[in-house]
Amino acid sequence: MSPDESARVDLRQAPGDGAVLTLGGALDVSTAAEARREVVARLAQTRVASLQIDASGIDRGDVSGMAILYELTQGLLTPGVSPKLTGLKPEFEHLLKAFPAEDALRALHPPPARRGIFEELGAATVSMLQDLRAQLTFVGAIVQGFAAALRRPRLMRWHEVAVVFEKAGVNALPIVSLISLLMGLVIAFEAAQPLEMFGARIFIADMIGLVMVREFSPIFTAIILAGRSGAAFAAEIGTMKVNEELNALETMGLDPIRFLVIQRVFAGTMLMPVLSAYSMLIGVFGGVVVMVTMGFTFAQIWAQLIGALHVRDVLVGTSKSFVFGAIVAGLGCLRGMQTKEGPNAVGDSTTRAVVAGILMIIVVDSVFAVLTYVLHV
Amino acid sequence: MSATATVISVEDVTIAYGDNVIQKNVTFDVHAGEVFIILGGSGSGKSSLLKAMIGLDRPASGRILFDGDDIVTAEGEDRLRLLRKFGVMYQSGALFGSMTVLENVRLPLDEFTDLGPEEKDLVAAAKLNQVGLLPAAARKPSALSGGMQKRAGIARAMALDPGILFLDEPSAGLDPITSAGLDETIRSLSRDLGITFVVVTHELQSIYAIGDRCIMLDGRTKTMIAEGKPMDLRDHSTDPYVRQFFLRQAEPAATGNGGTRAS
Repeated sequence: MSPDESARVDLRQAPGDGAVLTLGGALDVSTAAEARREVVARLAQTRVASLQIDASGIDRGDVSGMAILYELTQGLLTPGVSPKLTGLKPEFEHLLKAFPAEDALRALHPPPARRGIFEELGAATVSMLQDLRAQLTFVGAIVQGFAAALRRPRLMRWHEVAVVFEKAGVNALPIVSLISLLMGLVIAFEAAQPLEMFGARIFIADMIGLVMVREFSPIFTAIILAGRSGAAFAAEIGTMKVNEELNALETMGLDPIRFLVIQRVFAGTMLMPVLSAYSMLIGVFGGVVVMVTMGFTFAQIWAQLIGALHVRDVLVGTSKSFVFGAIVAGLGCLRGMQTKEGPNAVGDSTTRAVVAGILMIIVVDSVFAVLTYVLHV
Repeated sequence: MSATATVISVEDVTIAYGDNVIQKNVTFDVHAGEVFIILGGSGSGKSSLLKAMIGLDRPASGRILFDGDDIVTAEGEDRLRLLRKFGVMYQSGALFGSMTVLENVRLPLDEFTDLGPEEKDLVAAAKLNQVGLLPAAARKPSALSGGMQKRAGIARAMALDPGILFLDEPSAGLDPITSAGLDETIRSLSRDLGITFVVVTHELQSIYAIGDRCIMLDGRTKTMIAEGKPMDLRDHSTDPYVRQFFLRQAEPAATGNGGTRAS
């Protein structure tokens, strides 16, 4: 290693209009930025008609350091003047040769392709229609897969179904419990004040029962399922696709839908109502706790709940859950199967699974709201 | 290759994951400017040794010195300074998929130098030119072939002009022509820039083409069983496993006919 750790820059006027720029010392990645600033500053102070660069003093250098020499010899720092380089040691000349020609440099940043608004609009429409078609095809494939599994139950791979039940269902109980309990508490507290104005605090029981059973429990558990398991399905299947495991299944003559998807959709559809019913119980319990602290007795609350809640409310809530479960699990698997190549692909699929899952939950819930209103259920 | 100054000293290094010992008491030196090869069969601990040398994993015991400084115990600024002495090309290239090839090579320059944007582009372009990848500068890694990704990995490893490059299985997964091209790149970088290479590989062709010296790790005895020039080991090693490796023979030589003939 050279004892000289810094770069030396010197500019001297030569006879006539010329000047000699002397560079020496270490011209490497640690000194290059400073040295270049100095070169630019010196050149700015002097008007030169011709420039000679004396590089014989450079005793250490690398590509970053040689970048200055490249810029100088190409005249990039002295417009209108073509400097002459002398005295550069052969090992550094080697480095200097690594720099590409100017037209190759211009190609480094090609202008991004821009599309007009109509093109964007058209592309978005086409992609939406394609996605719709993919979803329909997928639904068809799942139905086919289920039909095949019905004929030959062995195809269902029940162990996999049990694993999904455990991961997506049992393991979700703590978070479902916490969120449902807090929702019950919050709704009861929020309802208490306005109802108190009418002396109607006992109706907290009606409210908590109806809100949790018909709306909040199905929706929140579905959103939890989308975030936990829809995302997991997309990531699992997406990773399998990236690792060519799906191709392996395909070439073994195994249908990935029948092998991976129907188990998840079946488990999702079946466990969602169970989770949702559990959430209803916990949510209502949260409300009851608040009411008990307000001085109501269990008997009062129970009578009020029984009067407000009907079997049809529970049926509406539970039937929604079946649909939500199928949608969340199906979308998770679909996005997983649609995973493209590249490092972001699995992440993108996961995001799309969760976003599409939550969106569809709300859309389907709206449809249910209209239907139940029209049918007076 | 002219100098024989030691740039890396591996001293009595034992690598283990928990109770599972991978290699015991490995000791060797890497000299300035040479292409040094770490050989061994699958599972012999080549990659684990490499990981220890580049500071990713901590060996169970021993020292790994770069110009006298131990990377095993170095922390904070000292460790950063040591990390700046070398670049690493990972087996898969490990390019950042969200960036173009040029941006990948520019990243270390962006993070660790004060160069202006044009100079960084210029330096990155020169690096890509050195590995013959300039025409692909604006492409994303996913649009590159395996060989090109490895070249880009080398260019990125060289971004800050380190004196040492570690290459993890540069020929793995490449066709013979691409692999030979990569070997030529390594050779020319070593010859023209005096870069010291530490290469993990088990491709015999590559070993002969680029290797100045090598060591061989044995997964069964969990020790280093040979050190020397590849040709010498092939022709003169007394260890049956070493000869078997170089002669590309299948079964253990204990009872076979490849055991005692050579040398």
